[in-house]
Amino acid sequence: MTSLSTPRCFWLVRFAARETAMDPSEVEFLAEKQLVKIIPNFSLDKIYLIGGDLGPFNPGLPVEVPVWLALNLKQRQKCRIIPPDWMDVEKLEEMRELERKEDAFTPVPSPHYMELTKLLLNHASDNIPKADEIRTLVKDIWDTRIAKLRLSADSFISQQEAHAQLDNLTLMEINTVREFLLDSLNCMYKLRSNLQPGSRKGQLTDY
Amino acid sequence: ENESMSDSLSDDCVSQEEDVMTPAELISKLEEAWLNEKFSPELLENRSEVVECVMEQLTHMESNLQRVKKGDAKASVHRMEIDRIRFVLSSYLRSRLQKIEKFFPHVLEKEKSRAEGQPSLLSPEEFAFAKEYYANTETYLKAVALKRMPPNLQAVDLLKAVPEPCLDSFVFLQVKERQENIFVEPETDDQREYVVDLEEGSQHLMRYRTIAPLVYSGAVQLI
Repeated sequence: MTSLSTPRCFWLVRFAARETAMDPSEVEFLAEKQLVKIIPNFSLDKIYLIGGDLGPFNPGLPVEVPVWLALNLKQRQKCRIIPPDWMDVEKLEEMRELERKEDAFTPVPSPHYMELTKLLLNHASDNIPKADEIRTLVKDIWDTRIAKLRLSADSFISQQEAHAQLDNLTLMEINTVREFLLDSLNCMYKLRSNLQPGSRKGQLTDY
Repeated sequence: ENESMSDSLSDDCVSQEEDVMTPAELISKLEEAWLNEKFSPELLENRSEVVECVMEQLTHMESNLQRVKKGDAKASVHRMEIDRIRFVLSSYLRSRLQKIEKFFPHVLEKEKSRAEGQPSLLSPEEFAFAKEYYANTETYLKAVALKRMPPNLQAVDLLKAVPEPCLDSFVFLQVKERQENIFVEPETDDQREYVVDLEEGSQHLMRYRTIAPLVYSGAVQLI
């Protein structure tokens, strides 16, 4: 790429761990803020967290907590997790059919459906009926959506579009194409701008 | 004693906002700033007021926790929450430092040309860091190379040597407040420019330059 742009003091450009990109584990971190119902086996008064109040906890009584706490309690065998409504074989089968039938992205039951499935199935599969079937169904839905995403990314680039609306895509899905797609678009832009003589637009950064 | 911990923010922390913010809203603000900073190609305006209030919340909570007995069930939940907030806070500040290191001459230039009364791009600490980074880079370049060059080649203009942030990068965004007639520049000569409406809750892929003002105003969230 260097031959295409004006010579620069490239020795100043350093490669750092990219804090300005997003790691899948960080998307998972955001997913852990979602609420899930648990049935505790202990009692505890209300907890006043910075992010809001939780509890009170009474043995046998369902209570909503963030996923990060639910998983921690589960690991310490202090609760049973109630899977979200959509984590159900019949509902997921319907979604899979719809996703396969439609060309557009269908609405998902949770903005973090993939991360939540993975987290809950990995740490609380004994609380989720038909866990294996659910794992396969969610994977099928994910695969169908990612295939659509690749197709639309491909047409976005080949049509040289300047704008796309991406409703119903989740952060994790966007994240799987983010770097590759954005870097490609930037490269194409650089190549095109350099084709136009005298264009200052082409003076892009050289990473 | 835990009950008074996070009922409301101190006067310092609410006076800068028109409405009183709850601690939960404060944490959402921090998370929004974190994602915007992660995904915007340029350094955004500093959010010191949010950072300081979050720090205050954390310090307050931590000092309360010191008085709690070991093995307290509630305390362990509080500590987990503190760790999660600290993670976001550090990642946010680190991503700003990385951008300052990457674009330091331009960041300092922008700060210099800022009109009086306009909010500062950098926090006082970040400003000190950027200045020091500039001076150290200059000294380093002189020591290892420039002083051995012919006299007419010894000057280096860091503003020209360091690439500028690429505002033409594409970004993903989610709309928080409906926007009409957002201008979309054509990609090629045979395309026409057009406008789009951004509906609340919708998600888009477009150039950062077009929507940068909406990121500053909080009308869209980068994702």
